[in-house]
Amino acid sequence: MALLEIKDLTVRFYTQEGVVTAVDNLSYQIKRGEKFGVVGESGAGKSVTALSLMRLIDSPGRIESGEILFKGQNILDMTEKEVRSLRGNEISMIFQDAQTALNPVYTVGEQISEAMRHHLGYSNEEARERSIQLLDQVGIPEAETRYSDYPHEFSGGMQQRAVIAMALSCDPDLLLCDEPTTALDVTIETQILDLIEELADEFDTAVQLITHDLGVVADICDRVMVMYAGKPVEKAPVEELYYDPKHPYTVGLMSSIPRVGDTRDRLQTIPGTMPDLVELPPGCSFHPRCPFAEDACTTTEPALIDIESSDEATVDSSRAAACLEYTDQLQNGLDYEVRVVDENTGSEMNPTQTGGSQNV
Amino acid sequence: MRRIYESDALRRDDGPFSPTEVKRQKRPQRNGTGEPSFLSKFIPQAMANKAVYVSVTTPRKTYPRGVPIPFSVHFKNSMPFSVSIPTKSPLLWTWNIDEIIEASHVSVRDPPDETDRFGFNRGERKTFTRRWSQSFRLTDSTWEPAATGRYTIGVGINVDDPVSAGLYDEVTIEIVDE
Repeated sequence: MALLEIKDLTVRFYTQEGVVTAVDNLSYQIKRGEKFGVVGESGAGKSVTALSLMRLIDSPGRIESGEILFKGQNILDMTEKEVRSLRGNEISMIFQDAQTALNPVYTVGEQISEAMRHHLGYSNEEARERSIQLLDQVGIPEAETRYSDYPHEFSGGMQQRAVIAMALSCDPDLLLCDEPTTALDVTIETQILDLIEELADEFDTAVQLITHDLGVVADICDRVMVMYAGKPVEKAPVEELYYDPKHPYTVGLMSSIPRVGDTRDRLQTIPGTMPDLVELPPGCSFHPRCPFAEDACTTTEPALIDIESSDEATVDSSRAAACLEYTDQLQNGLDYEVRVVDENTGSEMNPTQTGGSQNV
Repeated sequence: MRRIYESDALRRDDGPFSPTEVKRQKRPQRNGTGEPSFLSKFIPQAMANKAVYVSVTTPRKTYPRGVPIPFSVHFKNSMPFSVSIPTKSPLLWTWNIDEIIEASHVSVRDPPDETDRFGFNRGERKTFTRRWSQSFRLTDSTWEPAATGRYTIGVGINVDDPVSAGLYDEVTIEIVDE
């Protein structure tokens, strides 16, 4: 049984402007100890998905339909008390902005201890000892002294480490990391990611890593889901996603990664922006930006198709993409090429896809 | 040294964004960002309905086939006090093409079965924009382009009978072959 199974999750926000469908019919699963990446541009619905898992969607947002099965129990059917016992205990979240996530009027140590006292029934002294141990584990120097510091006395990287310590304090089974390194510089980013990976391996914690950085995903994750406009457009094991992307959006995302030594004058981008989630274009939501779009894409919304069986994907499908190409409704097909170049020798290795000139 | 006002950097003309000496005729109205006051709930419904004015406009009356049609929806509270209108669901207002809600033959969403209120501060105006893609949704995953001809874009607050409550407006446009 999967640790987490999400079935047909739909989350909408009822605003004066209109109804924002932030997550639309989303299904996926995460196994125990697995590292699962969720990627996509801003506004793709990644964070809303994570917040839904902890039932933290606030008004005017509503989880309209679907099931969130954690260890076989539907979180959406639980009472508020049951959900509170789950949050921070069995499911923890590392938020994007550590400074905002930490309470400025409590010491960092107290904030870590609180979760352990509440969920694990530790005494003050036990919680303090364990907090100092955790702070030390996440690389805070002089952890015992720093225990009594307030969040403003920590640097950005240290605050993020403190939030990670807090998230790991109750030894969760599932760790939701919502762009944990966005606000940090690259050296700290690497340290934090290594830390998450190391700690997840040590505690056998499943990780759902939300990011817009495909490099981070390649480094850490086992499987990836690419989201666009609230819907999953591709799901794949991480290596297959990089070597053989099936959706034009994934191809666009990967070709927009800047590379050292690239001779192009301008960085490659996906033209246009994410559509307004209040009014999505008809047909495939990505068609206005897709270089391979045809007339059929404007009138038919592609289902998420299991690439191996060519049937509609299920939560068990390991490889799936939502493009009309996989239901034979595109006349010209997807015309791109994946070239894998060895950084050291500059030679090409094992090209896979056909056509065009996307250097992924 | 030349002063900034001696140069040509500043122009005083009648352009919409140029500074002018003309005093504003009307006092600026309060921005519509806040919630309407609690007391707005106690305004009689008939009065609230009369206070709120709904209109829909398009930049042009004819559009070539296949070109998305933008339209602006305006709501205005003409009263110097807050009003709010109870709606059937959290979906506060809807638009339709020839009475087909959001140009879809299938129900696009199923709003929660609970009422809400569309609130306006004193003198508040709200403007929202939408685009009709010139297509009708036939099923959950298929659309059909609209044929040439005249279509009516209607907008109403989500109450039982927005037309008779005076909370509805419509505009007619024509789709033509280029």
